[in-house]
Amino acid sequence: MLAVGLQHYLILSAMLFSLGVLCMATKRNAIGILIGVELVLNSANLNLVAFSKYQTGTGDGHIFAVFVILLAAAEAALAIAIFMNFYNNVRTIDVDRGDELRG
Amino acid sequence: MENHTFEICLALGVVIPLISFTILAFFGANAPFGKPRAAYLALGAIASSCLLATYVLISWYGLSLEQKAQLTQEAFRYHWADFGSISIDVGVKLDSLTIIMYFMVTFIASFIHLFSIGYMAGHSDEVGGECKFHRFFAYLGLFCFSMLGLVISSSLLFLFIFWELVGLCSYLLIGFYFDKKFASDAGMKAFITNRVGDFGFIIGLALVVMYTKTFDLDAAADAFAQQFNAGTGIFAASIDLFGWHVSGLTLATLMGVGLFCGAMGKSAQFPLHVWLPDAMAGPTPVSALIHAATMVAAGVYLVARVFRLLTPDAQFVIAVIGCITLTMTALIAIVQKDIKKILAYSTLSQLGYMVFGLGVGAWTAALFHLMTHAFFKAMLFLGSGQVIEGCHHEKNIMNMGGLRKKMPVTCWTFFIGVLAIAGFGIPGTHIGLGGFFSKDEILAVAYERAFNMHAEAHGESGDSHGDNDNHGDTDDHGSHVRADVGDNVQLASAGSNTTALLAVQSANAMASGEGGGHANGTQAKMDIAATLPQLPKWMFWLPIIIAYVTPFYMMRCWWLTFMGKPRDQHVYDHAHESKLMYIPLVVLAVGTVYCSYWVFRPMISQASEVAANAPAVVAFDGKIHDYSEIPTHAMMTLTHGEGMVNPHTALAYIVGISWLIGMLFAAILYWNGPKLAGRIKDAVPGLAFLHKTLENRLYIDHVYDFILVEGVKTLGRLWGWFDTNVIDNFVDLVAYAAKGIGVTTGRQLDMGVEKGDIGLVDNIANAIAWITYSTGSGLRRPQNGRIRTYVLLTAGAAGIALLFVLIWSMSSDATEVISAASAQ
Repeated sequence: MLAVGLQHYLILSAMLFSLGVLCMATKRNAIGILIGVELVLNSANLNLVAFSKYQTGTGDGHIFAVFVILLAAAEAALAIAIFMNFYNNVRTIDVDRGDELRG
Repeated sequence: MENHTFEICLALGVVIPLISFTILAFFGANAPFGKPRAAYLALGAIASSCLLATYVLISWYGLSLEQKAQLTQEAFRYHWADFGSISIDVGVKLDSLTIIMYFMVTFIASFIHLFSIGYMAGHSDEVGGECKFHRFFAYLGLFCFSMLGLVISSSLLFLFIFWELVGLCSYLLIGFYFDKKFASDAGMKAFITNRVGDFGFIIGLALVVMYTKTFDLDAAADAFAQQFNAGTGIFAASIDLFGWHVSGLTLATLMGVGLFCGAMGKSAQFPLHVWLPDAMAGPTPVSALIHAATMVAAGVYLVARVFRLLTPDAQFVIAVIGCITLTMTALIAIVQKDIKKILAYSTLSQLGYMVFGLGVGAWTAALFHLMTHAFFKAMLFLGSGQVIEGCHHEKNIMNMGGLRKKMPVTCWTFFIGVLAIAGFGIPGTHIGLGGFFSKDEILAVAYERAFNMHAEAHGESGDSHGDNDNHGDTDDHGSHVRADVGDNVQLASAGSNTTALLAVQSANAMASGEGGGHANGTQAKMDIAATLPQLPKWMFWLPIIIAYVTPFYMMRCWWLTFMGKPRDQHVYDHAHESKLMYIPLVVLAVGTVYCSYWVFRPMISQASEVAANAPAVVAFDGKIHDYSEIPTHAMMTLTHGEGMVNPHTALAYIVGISWLIGMLFAAILYWNGPKLAGRIKDAVPGLAFLHKTLENRLYIDHVYDFILVEGVKTLGRLWGWFDTNVIDNFVDLVAYAAKGIGVTTGRQLDMGVEKGDIGLVDNIANAIAWITYSTGSGLRRPQNGRIRTYVLLTAGAAGIALLFVLIWSMSSDATEVISAASAQ
């Protein structure tokens, strides 16, 4: 059976990251963008944990990952609050409509 | 090769509703899943789970005790991951309790699905139409998946995961009519209140894992018992928890109480009970399934599962909380006018009974009560759904009355439910519905604990010797007398006398129980037995009084709804009974009558035997706390005859006919509608005040609102004031200062110069401005305010940077190779 090594995790993480960025770049729905951000954060988490497991052998990466998860939760709460206000102002959460600050 | 048929069946039964959920969630709105088909899919899924559960139940029932114990031991475990040195296993907990809970959930859920097809057809169109209909059944599927997963989890971690999932489903379904403010508010209230409890749960879970190094329920309990007997682990530990120094037994108690906090949230016990009445904002089938029969029982199930991790003090806390809940909510139920609210409060009260039962050690009785309650409460809620549906969303029982002629089936099935919850039965015989036996069993154990501690302590050794009921009881009684003599006559040496008694008993327990190898455990066991607190008397009397109140408020509800004369002619004229919803009501009524004693009681008492792999429930210290063999009064009078002096004989007549007295009283009081009761309320001083207090739910919601909601708002206002008055002023000050400096220096440098001068400063400023402007207008193009462009740019830039790094590292590698070659 094929042993799962560090690079498998890295590839998975890279895929997740790319998908996340793609999601952020293509979605017009604010929630969709938030989901993309979560994907990117989780790919980073995966990297942290994988490196911590295969390279350093300490639990540091795990702890970082937990912090990132915590941060992501806080970020989601904040982002959704922003969306609510955005919706109150523009009556939509299509982010392309929020371009008042354009140059 | 071990045979894992049972595990496979159970696991399959868990997954099928998940599949139904997935299909409905993604494709439910599409054409092939029109309105009825979505429901048939969900119904088919849960019905097949129920069939699997029936198969397992029947096969399990045919096995001998030894075979069951062996199967429990060899149940399926899969090593999933390691968390440091702690292994995380996925497994199925296979014992009588799991199987009977599993069967109960699937059975009731199946019939509630059936009921929902009729009910939701009328309700989902109000908002959202078709879209809502399939969503409802998708949520139900998700709920069934999570609830069944919770039941079969062998590890605390997975139990917790499913625990959160059922919480989520509860939130989704309470807020099902999310476009109504009160429904979405109620959903949030439920979710947040549960979060408070789960906080305690996580602390408890962390303590368990920290000291027993395992997530497995059985392994954790075994490790805990060993640590107690050896005085190591958690009993030798001391830590600072939130600035509070705890150690040893207190820490162990805290662990138990922490786990119980989770149950407190989910089973809606006293400080966190506020969400359950509000949860009635959800559709009625949901109230029946989640907020009466299954999910709210998860808390009780959890306490039963971790029973061996509970110290006597933790058990005492649980008993106190249960006692407070059952009393308070039963009193509130008397004055409610909304038919669903009455049922909600009676659910709370019955949950209080279960928790109280577990707290006093009546493990078997409490779970027996859980099962019987699930059946009759599901039926009562479905009946109320039928009434509400039939009366066009009229929920106030004051506007009903006389409905028996319009909906006879609902009326009489509801009456069976009322009888069951009231505890209908005839003392001294085997005739009676489930509630009669289960409630009485809890009270009998409470009696033992409140009045009869020493006898109970010795009775255990009798029980652990053999299963002979008669023998155990005689022993029990004899030792009671002996202990009394020891206490009364020789007060000075009473302590040593008791100690000797306990030493004998713990030696017996050790010899017969699982802990054969702990030779040095005797001392510790004696200590714990001595600290097992005797219950205060009020904790026995309050449940007794409430046993009279329960039939009263249930009868009031039934009488005002179905009997008497119609009070609102309009409601009465339009009332009708939906034929689609007959079947579930009738089936559950039959289930209530049949399954109450003959099926569940033996199953559960076997669960208590097999669960701990010993002849009885083994408590946290490895000592046997078997209250399950204390016979109920019905059995007592049969086995002992008339002449015996026995506490249970008296109890039989105190509690046994409470259902008759309570129901008769309610029937007389509400014979002609609520007018008489209203007159009495106005006539007796103080009663009106009491009524108002109870109607306002003892002002507990108001207190929470005042302290928590207003508190947070006040804090927000305070910081708002600080922001506008302190921080803003400071910022303004800085701005003023900068402006002042600017004005002063500007006068000096710029405006003070002679006419015709080039104006160095001006030119520099202009040049900078021009550069900024041209850069800005260059960069303006990509700044189109669209997040997507920014993301693309950032990603592109990162890509280019990556490319550079790669090229650079490659070229530097090449240089190294070249330099290495040239060095050669």
